[in-house]
Amino acid sequence: MKMAIRGLGTINYEERAKDTDYKKRLNKVMTEKEAVETFLHDGDSFCMGGFVMWRQPESIMREIARQGKKNLSIIDESGNYEGIDLLVELGMLDRIDIAYTMTRQVGAMSGTPALERGLREGLPRLVEAGGVLATPKDKVKSDVPSLKIVDWTNFQVSLRFVAGAFNIPFMPCRSSFGSDIPKYNKEIKEINDPYENKPLILIPAYKPDVAFISVQRADRRGNGQIWGFKGTDYWKARAAKYVVLLTEELVPTEKIYENPGLTVIPAYCTDAVIHLPFNCLPTGCFGCYTVDGINFISHLRQRQSRDGALKWLDEWVYGCKNHFEYCDKVGWEKLDRLAKSEHKLNRIPG
Amino acid sequence: MGHLYTTREKYAPEQLEEMKEKYTPPELVCSAGSREVIDREVVFVGIGISDLAGAIAKLVHTPNVILVAEAGYIGFPSVAVLISPADNSAGAMAMCHQSLPEVFIDQQSGFIDVAYLGFAQMDKYGNVNVSYITGQQVKMNGSGGGGDIASSAGRVVYTVEFNPRQWVEKVDYVTEPGFLDGSRNARKKANLVGGGPSAVATNRGVFRFDPETHELYLAEVFPWQDEEDIEEVRKSFPWDLKVAEELKIMEPPTERELWALRLMDSTSQYIVASMMDRPLGRIVREGKLNLEGYDEFLGLTERAIREVLEFVS
Repeated sequence: MKMAIRGLGTINYEERAKDTDYKKRLNKVMTEKEAVETFLHDGDSFCMGGFVMWRQPESIMREIARQGKKNLSIIDESGNYEGIDLLVELGMLDRIDIAYTMTRQVGAMSGTPALERGLREGLPRLVEAGGVLATPKDKVKSDVPSLKIVDWTNFQVSLRFVAGAFNIPFMPCRSSFGSDIPKYNKEIKEINDPYENKPLILIPAYKPDVAFISVQRADRRGNGQIWGFKGTDYWKARAAKYVVLLTEELVPTEKIYENPGLTVIPAYCTDAVIHLPFNCLPTGCFGCYTVDGINFISHLRQRQSRDGALKWLDEWVYGCKNHFEYCDKVGWEKLDRLAKSEHKLNRIPG
Repeated sequence: MGHLYTTREKYAPEQLEEMKEKYTPPELVCSAGSREVIDREVVFVGIGISDLAGAIAKLVHTPNVILVAEAGYIGFPSVAVLISPADNSAGAMAMCHQSLPEVFIDQQSGFIDVAYLGFAQMDKYGNVNVSYITGQQVKMNGSGGGGDIASSAGRVVYTVEFNPRQWVEKVDYVTEPGFLDGSRNARKKANLVGGGPSAVATNRGVFRFDPETHELYLAEVFPWQDEEDIEEVRKSFPWDLKVAEELKIMEPPTERELWALRLMDSTSQYIVASMMDRPLGRIVREGKLNLEGYDEFLGLTERAIREVLEFVS
């Protein structure tokens, strides 16, 4: 298994020359299935664009589940609740680096039922959370190593991508002095800076194998345009080895030239473009469609128990061959309603 | 600051009894919290109650504050309650769309004057835990941006519904640094750039921190909180909670504050305690997963946002 942290230090240019074949393509359009097959392998680390309930490529999580990947690690600030929990339910994740998990946020329901079940009962998998809690070993015997959760703050997770994008081994910051986060997370280091001789917190770089990023508009060559908040997306696109854009709209490059300021991910970062409307569902996409709260809550209710979650997986993940079958299943008239609701508030210009 | 103070004598005993029942806990928290901001400050809002308090401040007390949401939305005019920091309603009328690290970089540089946060456990010196309850094998949400905000925002106003279990001698895990061990200049010695917690606004009064000892004390109460009530509040603490010598009496939520709260949360995202009793929860519970259910829920949200937009634009 590969370790979750890698790529610290200098770039291996030989390796990059091989990797950049995709980045040099003039037409990077692929299907979701192809992109996951091509770029995400067992043991890989990956990250997702967007932030809490908005512009998160949740469809790719369902595709990863369908392809039965193993030993993955994911790093995210906050969000992708449904997607992360679905991979936890399937035991596909070995490690989660995260700042916020929405546990027990949604009324009396758990926002991440599989994670909580793992921590309590060891099913679907033993969990070791932040070096503080672990599934009681006397309750469950399992040879499979525990799923490891590593705690950071939002800023620290985003700085990991910034450092990765800078191609330097770390970024300093001032968050978490006196907090227990660096006490339990030994990858966070404290040093005295060589200029002022005062303490600084160091956050190690992260270069995930793949970044999946949802954008509102992209061309075939992989120029990605984002409306609304940018999250940490353009740093993620520069830190990751492979960048896969999921776009609501696939446009000719002339259209990109009309608003170059919105192109936050230039073509040279991108390896693949998937034209996939409504790929963020059940989260929303600024200017395109709003959050599908009804589906999110009703699915979350189904997933509370292990049995319910397995049934839900059969129906909503394995029961759909691809994202369009998922959309069929939700019902296009409902998707149109979500789009209409967003358009009353925001519309992408042009 | 927009503090609104009064005296108990202003109200007749029957009035106080009536007032005590009149307001819900979230209303009291939001209104007390909204009075903690100075005009023209830059205010970092969270989600739910910690968004509503800042939004009421902007709409009612301090119109020139700049609201900031974590995902990268800056300067939005309190458009509906946020259920996530990336909500379309914040982005729709924002002055600036930027990125998440930029918001935190700006905070580390001192641009954020005050931030609203919630918490699960707090100790005597304002250190906060939102990560783990070790005795009960519970993993909570975790830091999110809270650890960064508590480290670097100018000051932090915590807004929470009062719960006796949230006060502890020692937090299970320090997610958000307060005044650490309470010693003199503890934050400065630790090299934290932000000022730390300044107030804890609850439905059972506003708590502040002693400038010398950094110890939490009860600073302000609502007019109906008599000595008995204050004693009950004090007993909820595992330590001997100090009460201000000159305890201030807050005005109850004003009509204008309540109007702003209802305007921004007309779909009851937060004023109704249980998720499943709110419109979305009710629609799901009733199994209205068809287009009609979507129409009903989205219609409610759209109307709510339109009402606010009509007011602010």
